[in-house]
Amino acid sequence: MIAVMLIAAIISSFSVNRFAPKPMQILIPSNFPKPTYNLQSNPVTEEGFALGRKLFYDGILSRDGTISCGSCHQQASAFIHGGHDLSHGVDDQLGRRNALPIFNALFKKTFFWDGGVPSLDFVPVNPIENPVEMDEKLDHVIKKLNASAAYKILFKKAFDVDEITSKELLHALAQFMGAMISSNSKYDKYVRKEGIELNTDELAGLNLFKQKCSECHATDLFTDGSYRNNGITNDFNSDKGREEITLNPSDRGKFKVPSLRNVEYTSPYMHDGGFETLEEVLEHYNSGIKESITLDPLLKQNKSPGIPLTKNEQQQIIAFLKTLTDTAFLHDQRFSEQH
Amino acid sequence: MKKKYLLFLILSIFILISADAQQAIMQFNNFFGKEDFVFKKEYTTAFGEKLSFVTLNYFISNIKLIKKNGSEYIIPQDSSYFLMKQADPSSKNIVLKNIPKGKYKSISFTIGVDSVRNTMPVEKRTGCLDVGAAARGMYWVWNSGYIFFKLEGKTVNEVDSLRKNFQYHIGGYGGYDTKTINNIKTKTLDIPVTKITKKKNPVININVDIAKFFDNITPVKIAEHRSVMWGDFSVKIADNYVNIFNIGEVVYQHE
Repeated sequence: MIAVMLIAAIISSFSVNRFAPKPMQILIPSNFPKPTYNLQSNPVTEEGFALGRKLFYDGILSRDGTISCGSCHQQASAFIHGGHDLSHGVDDQLGRRNALPIFNALFKKTFFWDGGVPSLDFVPVNPIENPVEMDEKLDHVIKKLNASAAYKILFKKAFDVDEITSKELLHALAQFMGAMISSNSKYDKYVRKEGIELNTDELAGLNLFKQKCSECHATDLFTDGSYRNNGITNDFNSDKGREEITLNPSDRGKFKVPSLRNVEYTSPYMHDGGFETLEEVLEHYNSGIKESITLDPLLKQNKSPGIPLTKNEQQQIIAFLKTLTDTAFLHDQRFSEQH
Repeated sequence: MKKKYLLFLILSIFILISADAQQAIMQFNNFFGKEDFVFKKEYTTAFGEKLSFVTLNYFISNIKLIKKNGSEYIIPQDSSYFLMKQADPSSKNIVLKNIPKGKYKSISFTIGVDSVRNTMPVEKRTGCLDVGAAARGMYWVWNSGYIFFKLEGKTVNEVDSLRKNFQYHIGGYGGYDTKTINNIKTKTLDIPVTKITKKKNPVININVDIAKFFDNITPVKIAEHRSVMWGDFSVKIADNYVNIFNIGEVVYQHE
């Protein structure tokens, strides 16, 4: 007994110098599906998360140091680029699509509007190397990080490495983004029966939503992860959407169904950022659908394309959509740039 | 010639150091027709297009050695990925370690990277598969997946002496959740029956004729296909280049 205690004491006295990042618990909300990301192969730690956050807000990921992930994914705008239909990259170049929110990434099957990236690990490489976003090369980012004494210490603490490689860089970013879970909206508390009720308009909106919207905006992630043409345009010359990945003409003009969580704050809307308000979005489904061969069948069930919605119904749906706002998440200091 | 001698020297030293290992070496030799393939040298395709090259890279993976009796030795997967870069002479020699003793009659390999490895998490992308190091420029970041075969250069237009770039980036592992182009190619080459023992380490030469990249099942005229990347014509190109890998001499470096 004494011997065991002695050994334990010796071990613990050494542990000061041992590599021991603090595990960070990731709570999976009870109303969410299972994560798609394998947290066992990249367990989130306090050190890894903090490092990922520092990287997320650091222009070092871009060619000229001017653009960070946080430049286009701003917390106050639910991690999209507030006030920009399309985002600006280095040299003020314009992107082609509206930035997507990045929370609840642990649960996504694929990433980006066209689903071109199936793994959270490889999400950051796309904006880093995109010439109109960060216009950098991943190997050069790694060289810059290895030349930084401060980063070398942080990577050592988080991953016990002396040399930074793409694995640690991408794991750190995946830990930070993966830990961003938005699941405490009014709707969540209502649906999890945490003592919160929806008002009459919100309830009416929820019922309308279930009838008219939830086939695509399915589950409590509010997306089925599929790609659909929702009639924004019938001119696909500048952006073929999912077809650019599959090369299948039947995917022309199809884009990923986005989640609606925090939608109150993610204006502008749609892949091209064409709508500024939720009123415009709802009216689009009511009367603005542009027909084309690949238009989603669910939008072709009536005499004229779209989903008929009276003004009152639209308002009720909007009232419901606003219950998806997770104020605590939007103000959670853990996800903010640290000064 | 000098370069070749140097390469041979390096190779000899390497083999002397590892004299006791039961191994084989795959040596990739790139040609353009009968000429050695070198950057910036002017060649002419079968279709009369004059051109020079600046990039030639290709992935070789999932190597198998087939014994005379038909049994196979599969190189362990984690150590079976190689990236041949023309710019890096050492990458042209692939050392296959710990091969079981025996008589071998053929060798099989993938030109490209299998679909499973294309979708693995980042910790499984080490060595030549590291997109933040060796695999720089050999990965599509917007449409996740490795570029299997990359050939780039310039054409020389005799009339106005304008030099114009061409680029062939061929990849496509079949798609993650939707079926897409699959340009993964497996090549099996017969070799003269070759003994591998501790004392007998063969060097299996594989000759790659870039002239045949253009002059094959589907004629590739640069004027018509100057830039081929993620698109249907890439399938034709992959069907061409699977035929440009041929067995050369098999020699023993150590008796």
